[in-house]
Amino acid sequence: MSQRFGFPALDRSLTVPFVLFGVLLVAAALLSPRLFTATGIGGAIIVAAPLILTTLALTPIVMAGRGSVDLSVGPLMGFVNVTLIGWLSASGYTSPLAVVCWVVAVGALYQLLQALIIIYVRVAPIIVTLSSFLVLSGVNLMVMSRPGGVAPDWMMTWGAGTTILSPVLIIVLAAFALWAVMRRTTFYSHLRMTGADERMAYTSGVKVDTVRICAHLLGGVFVGLAALSYTALISSGDPTQGSSYTLQAVTALVLGGANLAGGRGGALGSTLGALNMFLISYLLSAFSFGSVTGFVTQMAFGLILVASLLVNVFMTARRPAF
Amino acid sequence: MTLLATEQTMSQTGRSVKLQRSIVIGFGLLAALLVLGTILVPGFISPRNARSILLLAAFLGLASLGQTLCAMVGALDLSIPYVIGGANILFPSLLVTGMPAWLAAIVVVILGAAIGVANGFLSFRLQGQALIMSLGVGFAFVGAVQLYTSIGSDYGGTVFAPVPNWLRNFAAFNGKTFGLSLPPVVLVWLLITLATIWALYNTWFGRSIYAVGGSRTAAARLGISETKVWTSIHGISGAMSALTGVLLLGFSGGGFVGVGDPYLFTTVAAVVIGGTSLLGGAGGYGATVLGVLVLTVMTSLLVGLGLSFAAQQAIVGLLIVPMVAVYARTPHIRNQI
Repeated sequence: MSQRFGFPALDRSLTVPFVLFGVLLVAAALLSPRLFTATGIGGAIIVAAPLILTTLALTPIVMAGRGSVDLSVGPLMGFVNVTLIGWLSASGYTSPLAVVCWVVAVGALYQLLQALIIIYVRVAPIIVTLSSFLVLSGVNLMVMSRPGGVAPDWMMTWGAGTTILSPVLIIVLAAFALWAVMRRTTFYSHLRMTGADERMAYTSGVKVDTVRICAHLLGGVFVGLAALSYTALISSGDPTQGSSYTLQAVTALVLGGANLAGGRGGALGSTLGALNMFLISYLLSAFSFGSVTGFVTQMAFGLILVASLLVNVFMTARRPAF
Repeated sequence: MTLLATEQTMSQTGRSVKLQRSIVIGFGLLAALLVLGTILVPGFISPRNARSILLLAAFLGLASLGQTLCAMVGALDLSIPYVIGGANILFPSLLVTGMPAWLAAIVVVILGAAIGVANGFLSFRLQGQALIMSLGVGFAFVGAVQLYTSIGSDYGGTVFAPVPNWLRNFAAFNGKTFGLSLPPVVLVWLLITLATIWALYNTWFGRSIYAVGGSRTAAARLGISETKVWTSIHGISGAMSALTGVLLLGFSGGGFVGVGDPYLFTTVAAVVIGGTSLLGGAGGYGATVLGVLVLTVMTSLLVGLGLSFAAQQAIVGLLIVPMVAVYARTPHIRNQI
């Protein structure tokens, strides 16, 4: 339905995120034009990349349906981050190839494990990812009891964010490229079918279990890339930030118009959602509320989330069934 | 959602057998943990440890009441930790303004209920995304409370006020009930538990919750208003969370907004371990009480063994999937068609 004109999924669910994005950009231009300098954009990319990539990681998993929003995505990113710093770097494996292989492999293998539990133990995904959240939050603190350690030398300059063409931008672009390739495969249409109606997909010959496993693997790769950009951002390891990324990524996902019941969602919406989240907190900090900025941000996230959910409902309610 | 439909295909008898099995397993687990504790941890079976387990269980139990009711219709209330944290700093800040403590407590609990009602009403309109709606409402509430309490103060998120002595006695470890060395909050929890279990089985409202969770079409035919059920159980959840927040102030002695954070996942874990399906229609508060006790005794055992908070969290998480796998597996897709 969305590919009629060759545009990538420009359905109605993207109207709200697009409009919000436009409004926020105008507001940023008026209030704090510093954002639109090369330094400003470079910094924005560095700060927003981990959230964009965690939201992207949630996207295929949520699209696969069964209400399987992955609550563990933040702690998993934290796990990849602390093992990268605490185990890999600490043992001297600091070559770029080793690091990239490690983050992608750990992310993908963990998601594979989760998918196998969901499919073969047949426990509801929300319970599996909930217990994952608890396990990983605990394990992260056991791997590294407090924030510390240093990122490999070649990564230290990444976090400066003074140029637009930083390696972090390349990571984000690589993720988009992966998504674009994935969209051209049969897997993508099977994913949408499974998410929209799993039973119908199963009866029409879609291997729903394989689809689910692939969705998790893809999500795991994105989590690995998110951890890489997060490590670049903080240049060290931090076992505690994971849980807040889960909540933010789920918020960004919904803000981007994805349906948590499955079947609907995409890279464009998720990216817009994450960018909107970034712009909201950027604008609020530009307002300088002093010591209460964090509270204003939290309240604004909440109110915007509630409002965009309501608008989404009224936008999609009039849409005929597809 | 396909999930709801799955649950509906199960027969009523199958469900009650499953629930009974989960209760038997829960009691077995509780007994095993107590035996393990007695063997491994010196002083595990002592009045002192029993008191601390009951006290911590009371807080978790009160916070899980609303979560249980929500789970019974297939919703999850993720605003609970934020309402607890908000109440925990709003209450002392009201005391500072000179409001009498009893009035402040009532105001906070009513506000919590109002937030819950709003949450329930909005969530009902957005069935598929109810989880996130409650999260958004929670964010907005705790942000607003923090803003209110930090105006004119240098400390954000922490509020200092003298906690009234009766509240301290009510919920602190060395509190006394009629001279008996058991904090009154445990007794209150017991009374609320009995009232809830009675109400779930013997009132129109209680049966409506089961009806809506079990089959929405049938509930509608019976003239049960789904909106009313959703709104009122979320209202109860908000009120109970606010009450927990107020009581936790008596326990800790100082208002701190992060005090509710651990309750986000522990309330869900208690519901799940008790055997209440997150998909609606089966379970009850009695099962959750069992889940709360299992969770608290297990934590106490792990603390007794000298494990850090991180390790406790990891072990509890590791145990949830196998426990749920015993009694709450969904049928294979080929059996769902």
